[in-house]
Amino acid sequence: MIHCLLIKVSHNSRGLPVRSYHTLTCDELTLGRGAENKVHLSDPRVAMHHAVIKRLDDGQPHLVAIHGELEVDGAQQQSVALTHGQRVMIGPYQLTVEPAPPDVDLAVSLVLAHRLPDDYQDLKSRTREPLSGAAAFKRRLALWLAGLTALVFLGLPLAQVLISSFRTTMNEQPMGFDRVWSPGRISTAHQHFGAQCANCHQVPGQRVTDQACLACHRDTAPHIVDPALQQHAFAAKGRYFLHGGVRCIECHSEHKAPYPLVRQYNGVCVRCHGDIKAVNPKSLLPDIHDFDHDHPGFKLSFKTGPGEQDVERIAQADKTHLKENSGLKFPHSQHIGLVQGPGGMSDIRQLTCASCHHPEGKEMRFAVVSFKRDCLSCHADRLEVGPANATLRLPHGAEQDVINVLKAGAPKQFARYSETLKSDGCGYCHDMVSPAKDDPLPWRVTPLHITQDWFSKARFNHASHRTQRCQSCHAVEHSESSADVAIPDKLSCLRCHAGSSPKYRRIASSCMSCHDFHNPHVSSYGGGGANAQDVAPQPR
Amino acid sequence: MNGNIFDYKNYRYFKLATAIIVLALAVYLLFEPAVGHYGGSWLGYGLGTLSALLVFWMAWYGVRKRRYRGTGATQGWLSAHIYLGTALLVLASLHSGFHFGFNIHTLTYGLLLLVVTSGFFGNYAYMIYPRLMTDNMGEDNLDALLLRIADADKLARQIAVHMPDDINNMVARACRETYIGAGLLEQLKGYRPDCPSALVVQQLASMGKELSAEQRKMYHELYSIMVRRQSLVKRARLDLMYRARLGFWLYFHVPFAVALLTAMTAHVVAVFVYW
Repeated sequence: MIHCLLIKVSHNSRGLPVRSYHTLTCDELTLGRGAENKVHLSDPRVAMHHAVIKRLDDGQPHLVAIHGELEVDGAQQQSVALTHGQRVMIGPYQLTVEPAPPDVDLAVSLVLAHRLPDDYQDLKSRTREPLSGAAAFKRRLALWLAGLTALVFLGLPLAQVLISSFRTTMNEQPMGFDRVWSPGRISTAHQHFGAQCANCHQVPGQRVTDQACLACHRDTAPHIVDPALQQHAFAAKGRYFLHGGVRCIECHSEHKAPYPLVRQYNGVCVRCHGDIKAVNPKSLLPDIHDFDHDHPGFKLSFKTGPGEQDVERIAQADKTHLKENSGLKFPHSQHIGLVQGPGGMSDIRQLTCASCHHPEGKEMRFAVVSFKRDCLSCHADRLEVGPANATLRLPHGAEQDVINVLKAGAPKQFARYSETLKSDGCGYCHDMVSPAKDDPLPWRVTPLHITQDWFSKARFNHASHRTQRCQSCHAVEHSESSADVAIPDKLSCLRCHAGSSPKYRRIASSCMSCHDFHNPHVSSYGGGGANAQDVAPQPR
Repeated sequence: MNGNIFDYKNYRYFKLATAIIVLALAVYLLFEPAVGHYGGSWLGYGLGTLSALLVFWMAWYGVRKRRYRGTGATQGWLSAHIYLGTALLVLASLHSGFHFGFNIHTLTYGLLLLVVTSGFFGNYAYMIYPRLMTDNMGEDNLDALLLRIADADKLARQIAVHMPDDINNMVARACRETYIGAGLLEQLKGYRPDCPSALVVQQLASMGKELSAEQRKMYHELYSIMVRRQSLVKRARLDLMYRARLGFWLYFHVPFAVALLTAMTAHVVAVFVYW
């Protein structure tokens, strides 16, 4: 049995403590939220049957937890001995063991130490404003982003450009801070030094100069053969926007990989050739803008002598003069298709272009036709004189050699055989000329001038056209004379090629598709660049 | 009468933006340099200059909208800001020639992309959420909802005191631990996965069997209070979600716009220093 003095402490309206005293006598003093408890603690934080005060085996009163929790100095305990001064938290209530008066065994006080908060204020404290702190966050983020961008992409590169000591230091590094300014991939040819921008961009704020290019390309020859014209065409002040002349990079633009360094568009050529008189008033060339529009008809280069410069240029439109004078008699029409060989009717042979014209190299340029390789198998009898039982074989070579063999082999028939050779032997294929008065030989063969490079100012790649039949460009089936020229004209090209823009079933072809830029090495006759032939003669 | 920012003055800025886009596309398709489109061609410089001017003008809107006086109506400025911003995206894309790399130029384009797309989301938010907010809140505001939730808390606790411990504890926990819009993610989602308010309703449904007749009556009352409370909490969270989403895009739009101005300055300086 326990005689307990229960002191309930509440607070009045002024906040002062008010103590009410109750004496309870029972075996077990239950505390809880339920109404059946001896000590009723009406608070949702207290369990229905929270704890009980009872004497344990040692005879001392203890506070023992039932369904609730007991807390002493912040630590949870299942059972607490109620000695003088002990304080225990029962939910929000604090139980304190007070000095017991003589008529009771135990005196405890109960006070509500933690009041329930105000519901609204409590809930409001657990409710956040939307995007609280957004303004500060935005400001910080903006400053960080702007600062970082300014430092990495503006400050450091600019410092490298403007502070010479810093630039010197960075030049020794594999890559500078200004690398982040690179607008695109550098061409393969320049990649080995492209990581250091200052190699080309030598003066800040100034466009890349030709000197920067020429620092490496020292052996680059002038683009135009005539130095005066070169100077006039490339350094003409006022003809170009913002600067005095044409700089290297206008045609060789960098940071555009995988596009080639050499620009492949007509604008580069048309800049001068669109109004060629403005560049060179003496020029005889017409103005050209596009292959499809105002490109003139082709001119063919006829070989006229043994020298490299012995070339005559004749327009294809000039049909009167467009005749090849090679010194040979050769009808193409008799050398195509099924032909009769030297064996007569039983020796029928199939001849094609490739029987005599042999392509060589990647570009399929054609080797010079050789008598020994290409003609002899059918025309061996043209080098034989005399009856069948005393045939004299003559060499294919210089006239003197033929005459010598003839004099030695058939001295009695020399005059007759010589005449035969003149009309039906050598003269069968070669044009013959009468010798000069003091010439010891009775006749001579006209020197051969076989044209190999018809388009000496352009580039033609047979390999690129190998899908076509030869006759689709070279109409030789009905050619009866070796004077006929079977080189395709501009209209023939335009069947498959258009100008700088592609057309229906015609591919785009820029100037660079056929011409190299004033490049003297293109032609075997020595001249792609502007030269004397294209310029009117100086008045004397 | 003016409707809204989208059809301002009979779609004046929509028409202007469309004309700019069509013109830019036409020029882009018709005049292609031999080495493909790039920022340094005459067309590239033209598009770049126009884009840069537009960026500065767009940024000026941030200043203009904070002023009560200025040229033209703020509504017109916003309408132009939206439509010309969209046109700006096309102009800048064409200016780039679609060449990208690890450099200041692509960074500038990327920032522009972020700024414009976040602006698109802002447009979407302002088109959708104000109506949804009205649908959700009616004539209430958040404080009124919180007051009603607090009332429900008090009532629920008073009833729960007379209920068994597990029910009482659950109710007390729900009242004590209901957070509304606790973090940015929750505000944007408008949903809290382990919300005690929802949990208590779910668990209460299966806990009424072992109660006395008197408790059962209170239990029914408690249950309906908690259901009502849960719906109030949901509405409060939705309200926060709409308001958060309305403002969230500005987290990116404004700071990235500032970064864009810096990057664009660096882009222009880079072009002309290494001309």
